[in-house]
Amino acid sequence: ALQADSSISPLPHLEAKIRQTHSLARLLTKYAEQLLQEYVQHQGDPFGLPGFSPPRLPVAGLSAPAPGHAGLPLPERLRLDAAALDALAPLLDVVRRRQAELNPRAPRLLRHLEDAARQARALGAAVEAVLAALGAEPGGPRPEPAAVAAAASAAAAGVFSAKVLGLRVCGLYGEWVSRAEADLGPLVPGGPT
Amino acid sequence: MDVSSCLRGPSWMVGSKRMRMASNFRWLLSTLILLYLMKQVNSQKKGTPRDFKCKTQNLQVWNCSWKAPPGHDGVYKVCIENRPHSCYQSEKGNVKIPRLPPGDHEITINLSRGLGSSMSKFLLNEKNVYFTPETPEILTLSADFPTSTLHLKWNDKGSVYPHHSDVIWEIKILHKENTEIIKLITHNTTLTGKDTVHHWSWTSDLPLECATHYVGIRCYIDDRHFSGHKQWRSSDSQTKVFPQDKVIPVGSDITFCCVTQEKVLLAQIGQTNCPLIHLDGENVAIKIRNISVSANSGTNVVFTTDDNMFGTVIFAGYPPDIPQKLNCETYDLKEVICTWNPGRSTALVGPRNTSYTLFESFSGKYVRYKRAEVPTNESYQLFFQMLPDQEIYNFTLSALNPLGQSESTILVNITEKVHPHTPTSIKVKDINSTAVILTWHLPGNFAKIKLLCQVEIIKTDLVRELRNVTVKGVENSSYLIAVDKLKPYTRYTFRIRCSSDTFWKWSKWSNEKQYLTTEAIPSKGPDTWREWSSDGKNLIIYWKPLPIHEANGKILSYNVSCSSDEETQSLSEIPDPQHRAEIQLDKNDYIISVVAKNSAGSSPPSKIASMEIPNDDLKIEQAIGMGNGILLTWNYDPNMTCDYVIKWCNSSRSEPCLMDWKKVPSNSSETVIESDQFRPGVRYNFFLYGCKNQGYQLLRSIIGYIEELAPIVAPNFTVEDTSADSILVKWEDIPVEELRGFLRGYLFYFEKGERDTSKMRGLESGRSDIKVKNITDVSQKTLRIADLQGKTSYHLVLRAYTDGGMGPEKSMFVVTKENSVGLIIAILIPVAVAVLVGVVTSVLCYRKREWIKETFYPDIPNPENCKALQFQKSVCEGNSGLKTLEMNPCTPNNVEVLEARSIVPKIEDTEIISPIAEHPEDHLEAEPENHVVVSYCPPVIEEEIPNPGVDEAGGTSQVIYIDVQSMYQPQAKPEEEQENEPVGGAGYKPQMHLPVTSAVEDLAAEDDLDKTAGYRPQADVNTWHLVSPDSPRSTDSNSEIVSFGSPCSINSRQFLIPPRDEDSPKSNGGGWSFTNFFQNKPND
Repeated sequence: ALQADSSISPLPHLEAKIRQTHSLARLLTKYAEQLLQEYVQHQGDPFGLPGFSPPRLPVAGLSAPAPGHAGLPLPERLRLDAAALDALAPLLDVVRRRQAELNPRAPRLLRHLEDAARQARALGAAVEAVLAALGAEPGGPRPEPAAVAAAASAAAAGVFSAKVLGLRVCGLYGEWVSRAEADLGPLVPGGPT
Repeated sequence: MDVSSCLRGPSWMVGSKRMRMASNFRWLLSTLILLYLMKQVNSQKKGTPRDFKCKTQNLQVWNCSWKAPPGHDGVYKVCIENRPHSCYQSEKGNVKIPRLPPGDHEITINLSRGLGSSMSKFLLNEKNVYFTPETPEILTLSADFPTSTLHLKWNDKGSVYPHHSDVIWEIKILHKENTEIIKLITHNTTLTGKDTVHHWSWTSDLPLECATHYVGIRCYIDDRHFSGHKQWRSSDSQTKVFPQDKVIPVGSDITFCCVTQEKVLLAQIGQTNCPLIHLDGENVAIKIRNISVSANSGTNVVFTTDDNMFGTVIFAGYPPDIPQKLNCETYDLKEVICTWNPGRSTALVGPRNTSYTLFESFSGKYVRYKRAEVPTNESYQLFFQMLPDQEIYNFTLSALNPLGQSESTILVNITEKVHPHTPTSIKVKDINSTAVILTWHLPGNFAKIKLLCQVEIIKTDLVRELRNVTVKGVENSSYLIAVDKLKPYTRYTFRIRCSSDTFWKWSKWSNEKQYLTTEAIPSKGPDTWREWSSDGKNLIIYWKPLPIHEANGKILSYNVSCSSDEETQSLSEIPDPQHRAEIQLDKNDYIISVVAKNSAGSSPPSKIASMEIPNDDLKIEQAIGMGNGILLTWNYDPNMTCDYVIKWCNSSRSEPCLMDWKKVPSNSSETVIESDQFRPGVRYNFFLYGCKNQGYQLLRSIIGYIEELAPIVAPNFTVEDTSADSILVKWEDIPVEELRGFLRGYLFYFEKGERDTSKMRGLESGRSDIKVKNITDVSQKTLRIADLQGKTSYHLVLRAYTDGGMGPEKSMFVVTKENSVGLIIAILIPVAVAVLVGVVTSVLCYRKREWIKETFYPDIPNPENCKALQFQKSVCEGNSGLKTLEMNPCTPNNVEVLEARSIVPKIEDTEIISPIAEHPEDHLEAEPENHVVVSYCPPVIEEEIPNPGVDEAGGTSQVIYIDVQSMYQPQAKPEEEQENEPVGGAGYKPQMHLPVTSAVEDLAAEDDLDKTAGYRPQADVNTWHLVSPDSPRSTDSNSEIVSFGSPCSINSRQFLIPPRDEDSPKSNGGGWSFTNFFQNKPND
């Protein structure tokens, strides 16, 4: 079991795994920023205008990283990261499907949403693999289909709601990959402790 | 582990099976109830989970929960007995489990707390599960304000539920949220396993604008397969902004309202703020006029409150345009493809995009266009399966979008609208050397029509030929035609395209197929010529390779035979690359025959006679070409019965020389000779032969150039002879190879010039000092240039020219010889003139000698007659410093006194009237310049002495000195000079006083003294010394007092002429002067 963040002495293959996962998280953090910008560009005004901040509506089956997230034990943090990333993938798919109707002539946005869903799954699996390699217990249950269905129905409720939901999901995607990067950082040999 | 927890007891919810068992176990039941009650008591005491119940929204997953004992946190492990992989872990008091089959299931809940744990067991049956459907989802709630109609659209989420079930929908309309129900209806539907959208409309008695309307909907699903409790699920509309996601035409007006309990701060459409229209309560509206076209994702309308934001999206677009350029045709008579252009963009995409339906009215069938996001203005197409035995189709294409619809129709006879696919699988098979069979594949069922196909035949030389072929259509798509009239042994490229015989459109061209036809025998014998070798013993036979269209195959070899009346010689199987044969023949007449052979056979023989008919009247002519060829003409000669032959070769080659030949029909009188081998500037020899009685006669010999060029070298020239006024130049011929054209002449330039100066100057600048001679007689090889100057350098340049231009220059510098006669004349003439002048002068002088003598050499009185001038010889000789003249007592016979004023330069010694008595001594000292002392020397000696100064003896003697200086110095002397005067004038002053002329120069300068001295005796004064009375003066430059010796030494009378021009001291020089020669006193 994981004893302490700074006392980890992973094996070489584990080091490589952690480093690889951390690099992926860092890369996806950058991609998530680009995705959010691209998403906003295609929603029309006032999306993207300075000062436009729709309420951070709760998303079924997914919440933002809690303020006390950093204070949790590392395995718990990683479990939460993996669970959130797993939950994000179907939500990003929902957003992509809705955007395919709204912006069918924005193939770049659609491709980035598709990539983001796939990459969220990959990063979630990688974080779980790291957890398993560290001997920690796997994460909790997978997000319920009902939660995704709820999100899908919310996206289908109205175009404006769908746009706001998409904005929220893209934002959460960025927050969670950034969170995962920060949580994996101390595990990287030579990285921040 | 708690023992009581291991006991199985009935749930409070359901009865235990064991309770329904045999009555003989009643006692045991009582015991178990007792134990159960004890367990409950223990559980209460120890904090075990209780109130276990389950519910579901979708029948697939059961959400089970229980009440956790207060203050007992831990991890619950929920297991379903007798089912593999059925344990779930939870930290909270609930867990989700998949749907269980009907019947009882034992559930074990194990609570782990620190070091201890407790376990509870429950029985679970589907009948105890509560089924509450998912919240109905209202997709849109729209109001038709003109008709006050509300339209409700919702999704039954049928895909969530596993079975087909009946659903009861209950819809209520409220004026005030959750309070005033003004309408309550039920609506029955059926779940079909997939999401279905349901519609319901309601028309209000009250205009919708007057109040806020709320719509609530709930459903009850009667799932026959579910035995649990079924409950209603209600849902009120959550929409706050109206209308939602509406599609409206561009340019229309629209009102949006926000129904809210919060105060709306801002409303904006896109990035434009809109003024708020306040409605009931906090409800507000905004009105948009003349809305502009939306982007693909619509136009956002947003209402902002203190802590929230509500919005809707509006899609402003256009109704579908009438489909344009609707066209229906078939590729294969199996399927009709209709294409059209959508026209103006609707600006609506996705679900709002235009949908198209192609309807065929005769058959009543239709096809729908599946939405595909294609770029605007790109053609759309729909496929319609053809119907058997139907050729006429009446298509109507309908376009529909949320804003309207349009349509376009077309009536076609499909057999006339055949646009076949591209033919494929082209194959070629030969029939013979001039015909092949073409086969190809054309997909489609064209059995009912004929096809018009076009075969493109491209020969090797890129000649293109199109042949139209009509073939009957077949079902199996394989077609075959024969293509004839081809050339043997020729590479052809075939490709095919087809249409119907009624022609609508050509198919695309098939891929190209190349094919080489088989060989045939050569159609002609080779073009032949013959030449006798230089020794005249051998006949060389030349022939040209057959052109491909005559060779009809690859020529393998040639056969040559020479036959006369007496013999026949043959050369067989000469391989193809060789086109020349040499046969030793006598001078008999032979007929040479050449045959070409390929794999198909031999060509007809080509014959030529060996005999050459002599021609004595042969001239060599010149001809100039036209750049790419040369035109040769001749007079028509009826005697030439067969043909003319022109052969040519490079003139620089040795005989027998043959580059090529050309045969011209006998009825021709001109031809143009062209050859790739011709080069400009090269001289060629052309020979025209006429064919007569099977023999050739040389008719003309021509030298010519295809194009003349300028010579590349200059003529090499030399100077043969040079005289004082002419040069003879000689040059050599330029070789033919370097001449590069017919020589037309030479240009000879010459000019005066040295090698270093003129060689850099161009000759073409038209300078006038260059003389040019154009020598057009090309046989001339010398040139004499006359009228030149002697002993002068000339620059000679020679260059040749042709009609092609000027050649380079060659230059030379030549110096002509000296002209001796002229030199002699130039010397003799001045000498003769000088002699003549001398003679004339001598004659004149001789004839005027008396006057001259009187003028220049008057008789000088003998000084011995004057006693006053008797010097004591010893004194004069012994003391040079003694300058005092001792006057002997002699009686003057005449005294002249000349008074000279300092400011009056002119002196008139003939009018001296002032006696010396009038000039006292002191007066002399005070004004020395005013005293003129004239020396006295009997009988009369008038000496003008410059600047007499102050003479100590002057005051006492009767001698008067004339101040010569004052005579010729009209300007007053400078003061400083005057100051010197008393010193210089001290003592005796003879007739002359040398320093007086140095009015400007330094008195101490000895040279100046020499120059300014007036009188110069015939001897050098510098050598004089006061050693004898004959030495008239002593010129000691260092002496402050310049004195002359005795006046008796003067044996001539002469004025000392001071310089007239002070700036020209030379002219004032002492001694003999030509000017002095002619100056004398007028009174003499």
